[in-house]
Amino acid sequence: MTRYFCVFAALLCLLLPLSASAQVSITDDAGDAVTLDAPAARVISLYGAFNEIIAAMDLTDRLVARTRADELPPEITALPSIGTHMRPNVELILGLRPDLVFQMAGRRAAAGEAVAALRAKGITVTVFDIHTFNGLFSAITRMGVLLGAEGKAGELISSMQSRLDAVTQAIGTVPHRPSVFFEVRYPNLLAVGRGSMVNDVIRAAAGANCVDSPRKLVRLNEEELLRLDPDVYVVQQGPMNPDPLPPSERPHFRTLAAVQSGHIYTVDEQLFSRPGPRSVDAVEELAAALYPHLFDNTGEKP
Amino acid sequence: MSNPGTHSSRDRSSPIRGASSRGLVLGVAALLLSVLSFLAACTMGPFHVPLSTVWDVLTGAHGVDDTARVVVLDIRLSRAVLAWLAGAVLAVAGAAYQGVLRNPLADPFTLGVSSGGAFGAAIAIHIGLTGSLLAGSGLTALPLAALAGSLCALLVVLMLGRLAGPFRRETLVLAGIVVTTFLSACIAFVKSLDEEAVSAIVFWIMGSFQGRGWAHVLLFAPYAAIGTAVVFLLSKELDILALGDTQASQLGVNVDRSRMLLLFGASFAAAAAVAVSGIIGFVGLVVPHLVRLAIGGAHRPLLAVSALVGGLLLLWSDVLARIVLPGGAELPVGVVTALFGGPFFCVLLARRARRENA
Repeated sequence: MTRYFCVFAALLCLLLPLSASAQVSITDDAGDAVTLDAPAARVISLYGAFNEIIAAMDLTDRLVARTRADELPPEITALPSIGTHMRPNVELILGLRPDLVFQMAGRRAAAGEAVAALRAKGITVTVFDIHTFNGLFSAITRMGVLLGAEGKAGELISSMQSRLDAVTQAIGTVPHRPSVFFEVRYPNLLAVGRGSMVNDVIRAAAGANCVDSPRKLVRLNEEELLRLDPDVYVVQQGPMNPDPLPPSERPHFRTLAAVQSGHIYTVDEQLFSRPGPRSVDAVEELAAALYPHLFDNTGEKP
Repeated sequence: MSNPGTHSSRDRSSPIRGASSRGLVLGVAALLLSVLSFLAACTMGPFHVPLSTVWDVLTGAHGVDDTARVVVLDIRLSRAVLAWLAGAVLAVAGAAYQGVLRNPLADPFTLGVSSGGAFGAAIAIHIGLTGSLLAGSGLTALPLAALAGSLCALLVVLMLGRLAGPFRRETLVLAGIVVTTFLSACIAFVKSLDEEAVSAIVFWIMGSFQGRGWAHVLLFAPYAAIGTAVVFLLSKELDILALGDTQASQLGVNVDRSRMLLLFGASFAAAAAVAVSGIIGFVGLVVPHLVRLAIGGAHRPLLAVSALVGGLLLLWSDVLARIVLPGGAELPVGVVTALFGGPFFCVLLARRARRENA
């Protein structure tokens, strides 16, 4: 008996360094420790932006599924769909045997319930909650750790950071940052507050979000918008705002400075609202709109 | 409902005259209050407009700041007018429904008008019919879709009610419940198809005057006028219908036709209210009860005073919805009416129970 035990213990000692060498672990944004015995080889993201980050690290072949609405990177459309970001299908996910599932923290309970249901079935889930570039870089770093691609993650971050720096330098010091209003939805006007990634995109493009609320999304009435009277009015177009009425045609908007001066820009919802590699594109696009004399029309740096 | 046919004329004259003079006093008071409330509503909101400026805008003085003009006329006054009209229409429709169905729990949404409108709106939001319909008016296809939904649901309910042979109140109420339940399931189906649109659909259903303006008043007015006119023209028939079908027929009323016309007129007006404001509960249920307590059940004064009181109630509910939250956020007005209406209705019920047991 003791001899068996000794052999077993010896074997264990041999195995430990092996497993420890491949083991990866991080703490996610929900405060949970996530540990994998080896870098994840089969990955599912329940939020499209993570697919874009994984593709930017050249790891698209690790993805084994997508959510219904995902279209980027293009090769992902060949993968099976496992439901939606809010209501992923646990059965389909289990069947694909993923090592790791990424989820974006949501305000609504549904996203959290989905995470709990997957964890109950023994699947490792990592939750990120991103609303600034710093948070995005931190999440990319940790994704790099879990995927065993710290080098790629570092390259991605430094290339994004250098593009952000280039925008900051091109603009230089400005006496007055134009105040920006970002419309999430109309009618029933919904704007972005300080808790949204868009807020940080506006900041990085040297604009000032005129909505001062800690929340991610803020419901406003038209009168409050007239009181804020932003210099620039940005309308997002996408799933949340499929067919927005042009602000110049809205009855209560005609006295807005942004409407009268024509500083109205329509932007792509997915580009602006999704924290990912393309958030830098969003910053460049918005900076070119806010400071047209500093950038040429393509939004590229001169 | 008291039955006035059981008293001799001399006993009856004093309470009836008392009730009608009370109705007149209450009506005049509500009318004056309404005018004052329109003025008051113009002065309240997150955007600071000095009282003198409000007065200048309202009196059409020259040289007023354009933004102040938009705030006072296009946002505050247009919303106050729309809310008042919608409240008036919902209260009249509620009184008509309660009279025709002889059911104190009937409200303007008994025959599926609300869920039909909500389904129409949900489809419009899902397809994305939020682009402009009439350039510069701010009017979109959304209210038209809601109106179409309401009227289709109403027709289905009335047809179901007729299928079962002659008019039976219970059949009609049941048909309303069935159609409402079915459409609620359809709305839930649309919501689960389209996660992005869920909050927009939910917000619409909760009822709001946010972003509405004069264009909505113009859209709403003709339907509301036709519907309420039909109800008012048949107010005498409403009184006679309360006596029961046999007696009403003996008194020469075409029971079936006037009932159908009344229901259709009330629903038509209520559908228009739903189209421009979403689903605002309790106004059509509580106001007629309240007014009946104050001035009795004769329908002509009841309808008139209910309209005035319902308008006042919804106007102030909308003012509260506009100003109660800090930072320019808005409450859905349907939430405000429900928060006030629920407890209030409980008090009414308790009082009524006490009176009946006394």
